Amino acid sequence: MSSTQTAIPGARFVDPKILARIGNLELMARNVVEGFINGLHRAPFFGASIDFAEHRGYVAGDDIRRVDWRLYARTDRYYVKQYEADTNTNLSILFDVSKSMSFTSGGVTKLEYGSFVAACLAYLAQRQRDRVGIITFDSEIVAHVPPSAKHFNVTLQTLDRVKAERRGHLIEPLTRMAEHFKRRGILVLISDFYEEPDAILEAIKPLKFIGNDLIVFHVMDPAELEFGYDDASSFEDLESGEQIPVVPQSLAEEYRTLIKAHIDALTTKFSEHRIDYTLLNTSQPLDRALFSYLSSRERLMRVR
Amino acid sequence: MTFLTPLFLAGLGALAIPVLVHLIQREKKRVVEFPSLMFVRRIPYQSVRRRRIRHWGLLALRLAAVALIVAAFARPFWPQSASATTVASGAREIVILLDHSASMGYGDHWQRAQDAARAAVRGLNAGDRATLVLFAKNAEETMRATPDKVRLESAIGTARVTAGATRYGPAIKLGESILARSQITRREAILISDFQKSGWSGSEEARFPEGMTLSTVSVGGTDTANLSVPSVNFGRAAFSGQERVTVNAGLSNKGDKALNDIPVTLSVDGHEIESKRASVPAHASASVAFTQFTLSGPNVRGTVHAGTDAMPADNVFNFVLNPSEPVSIAIVDSGSNDASLFLAKALAIGTTPTFQIDSTSISRATPATFDKRTVVVLNDTMFPPAGAGGVLKKFVERGGGLLVVAGEHTTWPAGEADLFPGKLGPVVNRMSGRSGSLGYLDYSHPVFEVFKAPRSGDFSAAHMFEYRTVEPAVTDRVIARYDDGAVAAAERKVGAGRVIVWTSTLDDTWTDVAVKPIFLPLVQQLARYLAHYEQPQSWFTVGQVIDLNARGRNKPDRVVVTPSGQRLSHGVSGEGMPTDSGILELNEQGIYEIRSTGAAAARPEAFAVNLDPAESDLAPMDPQELVAFVTGHAAAESPEPSAAQEMTREEAERRQSLWWYLLMGGLLLLATETAIANQLSRREKFL
Repeated sequence: MSSTQTAIPGARFVDPKILARIGNLELMARNVVEGFINGLHRAPFFGASIDFAEHRGYVAGDDIRRVDWRLYARTDRYYVKQYEADTNTNLSILFDVSKSMSFTSGGVTKLEYGSFVAACLAYLAQRQRDRVGIITFDSEIVAHVPPSAKHFNVTLQTLDRVKAERRGHLIEPLTRMAEHFKRRGILVLISDFYEEPDAILEAIKPLKFIGNDLIVFHVMDPAELEFGYDDASSFEDLESGEQIPVVPQSLAEEYRTLIKAHIDALTTKFSEHRIDYTLLNTSQPLDRALFSYLSSRERLMRVR
Repeated sequence: MTFLTPLFLAGLGALAIPVLVHLIQREKKRVVEFPSLMFVRRIPYQSVRRRRIRHWGLLALRLAAVALIVAAFARPFWPQSASATTVASGAREIVILLDHSASMGYGDHWQRAQDAARAAVRGLNAGDRATLVLFAKNAEETMRATPDKVRLESAIGTARVTAGATRYGPAIKLGESILARSQITRREAILISDFQKSGWSGSEEARFPEGMTLSTVSVGGTDTANLSVPSVNFGRAAFSGQERVTVNAGLSNKGDKALNDIPVTLSVDGHEIESKRASVPAHASASVAFTQFTLSGPNVRGTVHAGTDAMPADNVFNFVLNPSEPVSIAIVDSGSNDASLFLAKALAIGTTPTFQIDSTSISRATPATFDKRTVVVLNDTMFPPAGAGGVLKKFVERGGGLLVVAGEHTTWPAGEADLFPGKLGPVVNRMSGRSGSLGYLDYSHPVFEVFKAPRSGDFSAAHMFEYRTVEPAVTDRVIARYDDGAVAAAERKVGAGRVIVWTSTLDDTWTDVAVKPIFLPLVQQLARYLAHYEQPQSWFTVGQVIDLNARGRNKPDRVVVTPSGQRLSHGVSGEGMPTDSGILELNEQGIYEIRSTGAAAARPEAFAVNLDPAESDLAPMDPQELVAFVTGHAAAESPEPSAAQEMTREEAERRQSLWWYLLMGGLLLLATETAIANQLSRREKFL
């Protein structure tokens, strides 16, 4: 991803801490997305839906209206014109609002960062006339906004109200969600994934059954990744309340090894299941999330 | 172990700190919220539960360090008695003055005194020396200065109560001299006694110099009830050629309660002859008169026993009775009628002793006249002629007494001048004008000693009309003079005998002395003195000294048997001179016997010894009064003065300096603990 950042320097935008000062999510998302798009100079993935894609040979059963007659005049062969798909899709944001998401080591919380990401994606989708919805969950579904072209504001309001209060658990709420998605769309899952990789994958699999395109954002605070504590302290699990006395100096190295192994495992397993996985560091800008989304959206637009 | 500043021990509460740090540290620690401890929990660690103590050794080190430091601040030192504490500043020389007088036999006084003495011995420390002095009337250094506690305790254990009277003066003087000899600077005396008031007159010259201390242990109690027989009187009467004696026993009750119906028994020669009942009021005396009994012979031993109480020794009174022996006196006069009437009559009525008088004229005097006489009186007559004169001279030289009454008939041959005290001169006539009188009497002389007290005889009332002049030699002792300075009486010692010249007559011719009240005692006193008469004592008091040689003259070797059965040999040479001192100190209560080893006497000579009556008075004095007198300042009664102990506590603590070692130990433990804890913390992830 670092290559992406360097290739598109204009995509670098405001620090999440500064974004956090913008109370209005829509305004924030607009700023981010517009800045992001302007930085790209062009939008190669935003082609019109009627744009020509390629020719292929006519086979029996093809609609004769799609035969390119001028090419037939030049080559005396029947070719059919293929165009880029011209469809609007559903974007469902699955946002983990468990208690662990409220963690911050100084900047924005993971919940806020996740909200920013979700808002930005929603804004992008809304601009593209996609239908936007959101589902927040911890150990169960907290709020559900079905995808709709008119639900952008509702989505933003839902994001504005989220609070991380309870323990989280992926499997149950995700299984229930899978039952709701009757139409193929893009599912964006934002979570910190404090569960075993296998369990996570088991929870996510049902979402893929009907061909949904799944984008996973793994939101982590830098303290979670680097474990940069100095003093021996009692560490309290935000969700369970359990306390463990910890001497960070003697523990940090091993912890970093474990968290890296966890991320690697997630990356590998998501990759194996053709799921876009992006690790988001809350100290870094939001561009990676947007790139990840747009890449996925581009893939979906292609007509096969 | 004691602490100088024990309040610091409250700091031992700090011992809980390491434990609490172990157990409740997490409660006080900063809590860091973390999204999930999923990975932290996976990391292997030894134990994160601080509520369980893992390093007992480390905890023990911390606790020990804290305890040592706290103890150091409390300034500890080894617990020692005051006597032992003072040792910390140097060895001591101690003199234990243990009273073993008769009064210590009262109740458990002696046991308590021994216990106190043993306690003093056990209080000795290394370097200390103690001397045991047992004292009653006299003091004796029973155990010389020694640090050997076993020997001292043994000496205390073998000591016994004696019959001696209590006198503090000799004991304190001896203690002072022992301490003064010592090279040790710390010198103390411990006086253990019942502190009888009678043992201290206040006029003793017993003083402790600066640097010596005197402490006291009183074993006397408040109960001083005691019945005693302090004395016995005898009434003698002659009855059909035998002497009959009436015994009157005195009883003394020193208690606060009257004693009623007390049995009082008289025993003679071991046989109880009479028992009576008597009552004695509180703090009063009474007497019991027994019926007469016939004195069958010499050395009759008698005992009066009265009641029983806590001090039985003074409930018994011993005595020895002997029949009276008359003093044989030969009066030689000029032969005129009634020349010796006054003299003979005056002597004849004497009772102590009785006088056996034989009067004869100078013309009839023969050597036999002076044989077996004790005293010869030449009453206004010449010196006996040749043969009789020689016998008289020998008689005097062997110890006889000669009284020369110088009258107008008195002449003295020049050849016998060494027998006459001075040179006889002419008659001095004081008839004209005021007659002469006796102007000077030597009251220090035994003859006039009885007249020494005021109103004991008025010699100046006698008129001396005529007298002979005598010029005494330098060696002669003038014992009386007339008002004009002329010699009235002079004495000369001749051999073992005594010669006294009275320069006037002892009738009514030259003087009226014979009709004055002083005549009778004067004449009898002269006779007693010249006869070497000593009133036979029926008893002695413990502590008295008798001269056996005076009693055993011309007796072969003899053995003294003490009341306890001990035999003491006192030899007398063939000439009657003692081969040893012949002095016997009477230390035991009871009957002493003097047995001649060569003769098989039926009844050995005996004499009785009784307790000093003062010992029966148990009224105590204030020991501090004695201490104040001896040392010049008051002191506590206890041998462990608390004030001194306070001072020595600090001193002892300073010298021992245990706190320094404790502090060093504590710091060392802390350093060790730090090193170990660091090692452990490196090895473990959680502490």
